[in-house]
Amino acid sequence: MEKVDIIIGIASYNNAKTIGHVVRAVDAGVAKYFPDKKAVVVNSDGGSTDGTPEVVRNTAFDHSAIFLSHPVYPAHRISIPYNGIPGKGSAFRAIFERAVEMGAEACCVVDADLRSITPEWMELLLSPVIKRGFDFVAPLYNRHKYDGTITNSIVYPMTRALYGHSIRQPIGGDFGFSGPMAEFYLKQDVWETHVARFGIDIWMTTEAIANNFKVCQTFLGAKIHDPKDPGADLADMLLQVIVSLFNLTEKHFEIWKNIRGLRDIPTFGFRYHVGLEPVRVNVERMLDIFRTGVKDLKPILIEILGPGDFGEIDALIGHPDKDFRFPIGLWVRVIYDYALTYHRKKMSSEHLLKSLVPLYLGKTASFIMEAADIDHDGAEAEIEKLCREFEERKDYLINNWI
Amino acid sequence: MEKFSEILFQPFRDFWQWFVKFAPNLMAMLIIIIAGLILAWLIRLVMLRILRVINFDTWSDKVGLTALIRKGDVWAKPSDFFGYAVYLLLAVVFVMIGLDALQIKVIDNLLSQFLLYLPRALSAILILIIGYIIAGFLSRGVLIAAVNSGYHHAKLIAEAVRLLFIILVLAMALVELTIARGIVIAAFSILFGGVVLALAIAFGVGGIDAAKRIIEKAREEKKEEKGRDIEHI
Repeated sequence: MEKVDIIIGIASYNNAKTIGHVVRAVDAGVAKYFPDKKAVVVNSDGGSTDGTPEVVRNTAFDHSAIFLSHPVYPAHRISIPYNGIPGKGSAFRAIFERAVEMGAEACCVVDADLRSITPEWMELLLSPVIKRGFDFVAPLYNRHKYDGTITNSIVYPMTRALYGHSIRQPIGGDFGFSGPMAEFYLKQDVWETHVARFGIDIWMTTEAIANNFKVCQTFLGAKIHDPKDPGADLADMLLQVIVSLFNLTEKHFEIWKNIRGLRDIPTFGFRYHVGLEPVRVNVERMLDIFRTGVKDLKPILIEILGPGDFGEIDALIGHPDKDFRFPIGLWVRVIYDYALTYHRKKMSSEHLLKSLVPLYLGKTASFIMEAADIDHDGAEAEIEKLCREFEERKDYLINNWI
Repeated sequence: MEKFSEILFQPFRDFWQWFVKFAPNLMAMLIIIIAGLILAWLIRLVMLRILRVINFDTWSDKVGLTALIRKGDVWAKPSDFFGYAVYLLLAVVFVMIGLDALQIKVIDNLLSQFLLYLPRALSAILILIIGYIIAGFLSRGVLIAAVNSGYHHAKLIAEAVRLLFIILVLAMALVELTIARGIVIAAFSILFGGVVLALAIAFGVGGIDAAKRIIEKAREEKKEEKGRDIEHI
């Protein structure tokens, strides 16, 4: 197979409406920032029925409109169907395969439903690899303070507490990585697990950190994309992401048990604030599911949390909506207890993780009410407090791990 | 007089001859039973070892098997309980084989009937145990899914699922035991069909107003609020 320098992967499934914009931005970015590199856009498609691969192949881009001074050539494009479990992870696996086969020096993956991607994203995701020798580039975004609640309340604080790396968007979804990193990913035997689906993002980030690859993050601006598929169930997303997080916690115990403190990681890009779309939240419904869940799932929750912590949660259901607050110390104990129960294999992982949904919604509702009157920086300060709580209570997880 | 003594002692002679002829069978029976009981005990010990190595007790806790035997007022560890159950079963089998060595027609008939029925009885027990575990698993899955979907009667739905599944399992076990097969199948069809129909009517007719309210409320909310939904990831 012909050797290339850069591979840009786009995982898609029925994204005909948006993928044209993504391909144009990628094309322009590669042409503008890496004109002397040989690049290929790999669209890994999950069997779209709306003509997504055709859009990828036929998207035309008038380079003369933005490149006035020199002639440029569009990146070669290929569209491939992937095999295995349907999901983002399987699509990425096909991209890693191409990267290794083509001997790519640097790669990046971007979502097919992005509306806010610009040509600069290519430079921001690929330059740290090509010019600075990094192996893994995590994204940093401007997001609405209510968005990314699984990231903010579980994945970011726990990953940071365990591995001591402050990667703010460990499951951001748009990553840059080196050829050796792609080869490492491809060699792992995880493609029949939740990593093949939504678990891919946390898996990529954690494996990069835990295996001492050179990691950085880069500011990409706002992340705006098409509304998610309404069929994408919250419980399934939570299950796939958290099972992957807990599997990694299991796998890397010997590494994270000795890690203390926080290591700053290099951050690239010019940070700025942008206006973001308003977000619709229904706190009443979240609290309703929380209260029903605590009442109906009592035996399961006692088995996981023990009577003490369950008692504290049970006491919360009597609070009126406006006064409802989920204490952060209690939340950290809840997540660590779920990790311990998963480790001890005391019940089916699906039941275990799906029983977390009502508690997660209670925590999310609490955060939304706390953050209602504060700005983006204030919301970040609240998340920082939660992270410190995770770090301070890490010994609880270690001491009970046996 | 000689004739009288003949009449008097003949039964004893006959009995002695029968005993001399029967004694090897009796000995064989005793040896089979004693050796069988020792073998059953050894098998129990090996089985206990294996169950402990594979963490059977933890698995039993996880799938609800421990809870099942606790309901039967058994407080031993699941591995001990199943080890003892296997020992008893083997003991019964060896006693029956031992009795077969006596070569008494009535016992032979009883034994052949027992051996013919044994696989069915074991299958029925297995169906009940596996059915109970699956019923618990399904019911818990339904409970969690219903709670996460915001249903206020999640427990009721989960219990209905458990009940329906247990009815199905009981019917399967009874059919396996060939107990009044026709009646069991007819009763099961009527009962299962009846419960499903009743639930369909209850949810369908009874839930029309509730469904209408939910849909209208959701529409109003969509109209009132601007913007997109929250992103969890």
